[in-house]
Amino acid sequence: MKPAPRAAALRAIAELASDPLPILWPLETAIATNPLWDMRSRGFAGAVSTAEHLLGATGYPSDDTFRCAYRDGRITHADLVCALQESQSTAGGGTEGGITTRAARSHFDASLSGGRHLAGQVDAEVAKWCAAFLGGKLPLSSEGFYKAWLRSVSTTRWARRPRIKRLLCGLPPTAAEAAVSCLALLGIDEDQWRAELTAHLARMPGWAAHAKWRSRWAAPNAAGPALELVDYLAVRLVYEASIATEASIATGESGGSEGSVSLEGSGGSKASSGTPTGLTAKTRPQQQKATASLDLIPSLVDMDGSDGREVWLRAYEIHYRHELLRNLTRQAVRPSSLAPTAQFVFCIDVRSEGLRRHIEASGEYETFGFAGFFGFPVRVHPWDGGSVVDLCPVLLRPTLEVDEIPADVQPSPVSDLLADHAGFAGVGPAVEEARQGEVSPYVLAEASGFVLGPLAALRTLTPTVFAALRSWVSAKLAPQPLTGFDLQGPSSPSDDSQALYAETALKTMGLTSGFAPVVVICGHAATTENNPFASALDCGACGAVGGARSARMAADVLNRPRVRELLAERHIDIPKETLFVAAEHDTTTDRVRVLDPSSVPSSHTRLVEALQEMMSRAGQSLAVERSRDLPAADHSRASAHVSCRSVDWAQLQPEWGLARNASLIIAPRALSAGVDLQRRAFLHSYDPDSDESGSLLETILTGPMVVAHWINAAYYFSAVSPDVYGAGDKAAHNVVAGAGVWQGAGGDLRLGLPRQAVFDGERLYHEPMRLLTIIEAPPTRIDSVIDRNAVVKQLVGGAWVHLVCRHEGAWLRKADDGSWRELADGGPSPYPDFGGPVDATLEGLQTSQIGGSQP
Amino acid sequence: MIGERWGLTPMVKVEVVVAGEDTPAVTEVFKEAGAVGFTTVPNVSGFGHHGYHQGLLAFNDRSSLVLLMVVLPEERVESLLEGLRQIFTERRGVLFVSDTFVSRPEYFR
Repeated sequence: MKPAPRAAALRAIAELASDPLPILWPLETAIATNPLWDMRSRGFAGAVSTAEHLLGATGYPSDDTFRCAYRDGRITHADLVCALQESQSTAGGGTEGGITTRAARSHFDASLSGGRHLAGQVDAEVAKWCAAFLGGKLPLSSEGFYKAWLRSVSTTRWARRPRIKRLLCGLPPTAAEAAVSCLALLGIDEDQWRAELTAHLARMPGWAAHAKWRSRWAAPNAAGPALELVDYLAVRLVYEASIATEASIATGESGGSEGSVSLEGSGGSKASSGTPTGLTAKTRPQQQKATASLDLIPSLVDMDGSDGREVWLRAYEIHYRHELLRNLTRQAVRPSSLAPTAQFVFCIDVRSEGLRRHIEASGEYETFGFAGFFGFPVRVHPWDGGSVVDLCPVLLRPTLEVDEIPADVQPSPVSDLLADHAGFAGVGPAVEEARQGEVSPYVLAEASGFVLGPLAALRTLTPTVFAALRSWVSAKLAPQPLTGFDLQGPSSPSDDSQALYAETALKTMGLTSGFAPVVVICGHAATTENNPFASALDCGACGAVGGARSARMAADVLNRPRVRELLAERHIDIPKETLFVAAEHDTTTDRVRVLDPSSVPSSHTRLVEALQEMMSRAGQSLAVERSRDLPAADHSRASAHVSCRSVDWAQLQPEWGLARNASLIIAPRALSAGVDLQRRAFLHSYDPDSDESGSLLETILTGPMVVAHWINAAYYFSAVSPDVYGAGDKAAHNVVAGAGVWQGAGGDLRLGLPRQAVFDGERLYHEPMRLLTIIEAPPTRIDSVIDRNAVVKQLVGGAWVHLVCRHEGAWLRKADDGSWRELADGGPSPYPDFGGPVDATLEGLQTSQIGGSQP
Repeated sequence: MIGERWGLTPMVKVEVVVAGEDTPAVTEVFKEAGAVGFTTVPNVSGFGHHGYHQGLLAFNDRSSLVLLMVVLPEERVESLLEGLRQIFTERRGVLFVSDTFVSRPEYFR
């Protein structure tokens, strides 16, 4: 059979048309990403400019943020002078690379020229059908959104209108063909397809972002209804075509029925009324050129909007960089030359930094940082038959597949455990299903209200007691067995494969000799209640799930004698007396626990017990430190407070997550040991002396740095543009079929992080800055890695990430022109540091001086 | 000639090298053009306009290059190329088209 003309081209154009849109992972694995990721080749300034025109998104911190920072000394005069020196204007328009934002609004605006409400009705209809589809409420859902929608919408009153009926009956069977037909019906030439499709996607970036995830990032056979990009576009185009169809006959005809799109007030014409209804309706007013005087910094005055903001942002970033580099230079302490009592490997997550600092202060302990999947990209088949879990960053597809097995089944046999778990696990979904029905909620209330009501009261009044009670019941009814992995079975990864991954992990983190008697591999997870964004607090390097399984996997592999034999052949000699122990850091409670203490051999029991005690004390110290920043926290009893906070189902801010993240340090710990990095730095261990070829650095810059940049950018844009790239107030969230949240009762899915993740009340808690990556390595090696990896080149060259290199005692900054420039003591010298609060003459700093006008 | 000599059926083979992250876009075009199967070879390396391209990146499948191969009847090639040409207006990569022969044509229709 010959394929339909242009359908394949339509698919390709739809792919390109979605570039300006973010990607939205489902809530179960809420990965933090750069919402402008697919525009990264435009550079930071160009991408935010396009996003501003297309979505109305702000790309820089607000003028108020800069003004307050200047007033408070967070940005100094010296920082601004330095920023001017370092800046090269990279602001871009919204037209390069084929995204002609002006053209993008043209047809959709014109065809819906009746006003915003008409486009809004299309959005509302599409959102309604998307939610129903993802909720499994449409027949034919396995055949894709377009077919399922077509089947269901055909039964509505709207579809019985003669022209609509003819339109629907004449639609081709596949989404791409239907989209081509509708574009033809609308009279849109192929060279305008992309603009038209971008316009449609930009109307509801949340749904578009979900469809983009499904089409580009989801596993090919991912479970659940597949809302694909082309299906989504096809449905939208049919609605647009229906408007055009009816417009030709019914000026002023009113609709408003079920499944309908009304033309009321539209005038029934494609002629533009001049009222923007499409994607660029949100465009900010034209920015004014700064004209007011600012004597100290004349160059700023000549810059208009984005250029001025770029300088202020750089000044904001330079101030942080200066302080950080100065602290690293002056405060870092040389690690002890004594053999460590134990070594610890933590995730690079910024929340690990505090714990590492407290552990190192407790004795002769050496710590390392590595991506929290610990180098084993594993697909796990859970012991209880649950859904498979992929334990790796989403940049990777799991290449190892293992079965999780109960390691200790006494006293209950496995079959009993499985039955208990199946029964207990079914309670929650059964209650939830009953709540969603039409009649069953009443039955549920009658049947179980006498139990659930008092439990809800208990949960509200004494969250800690309720959590303890629930844990006790859970342990009694469905005890959790000690689990391990089948690493030697017929379907297990080969010994060679296990050794290869172990070798890569150890070499990349720089732990290839000098092994301590115990090496603790510590993953992390977060305990929270009633939190749709719970996975955003878990381990991003593990695919937004808890890190316990990854830690167990690494420890189990590294404890295998056969793997150690193979590692010895590769010149990594792990002593027989070295034991790898899995542990987990709960970042919400700061409890750190050895995961399987009963499996520790007697030879190491006392040491592991001592380590457990030490880690608990370190966690308590961290809780005290962390509680100083938590809103409404009781500092006097920090540990109890954070524990209660974690199980309180009314708590909107269980922890700050990765807020205020700002830097990534790729270096031996000696560069930063002893410095309080304030839980703002991702720490990746790296030994430059054992990486002549740069291959290990390449691994870090193409993997962990990209993930750190994503997290950094997600927080950045959720902070600077919360209305577009933020998920809004948690208190008003409604979960939509696990795909995302609505703010209220319908409409578009919200993107990014909730407001409570970056704001403390009305005040911005997160400091929006681009990631500062510090690398200890020769600059030529770094350049070599950049040159041969497009993604690193785009991030560094496009000013998404700032690079600083530590080499032979000097700090070198990667300038915009690609050269390395030395920084004296990390500071902005030789410029004078005016420092401190600004004087009265600058208090009146005007908006226009900062570089733009308020709408 | 070859087909007649060995009883093979002529087909067209299209090979594409793109970044891993563009694989879904390419495979969607394959499917829309009517291809019933394709082959992917991940982590390929080579040298081109943008210099040397690494093969395996240990922690990033999306940025390393992928070779995709598809074989299909001639009447479907035009549609396929329309789609691939669109992708290459903005994405890096290369495209090779060549004659090939298969022994079981029903596998490719």
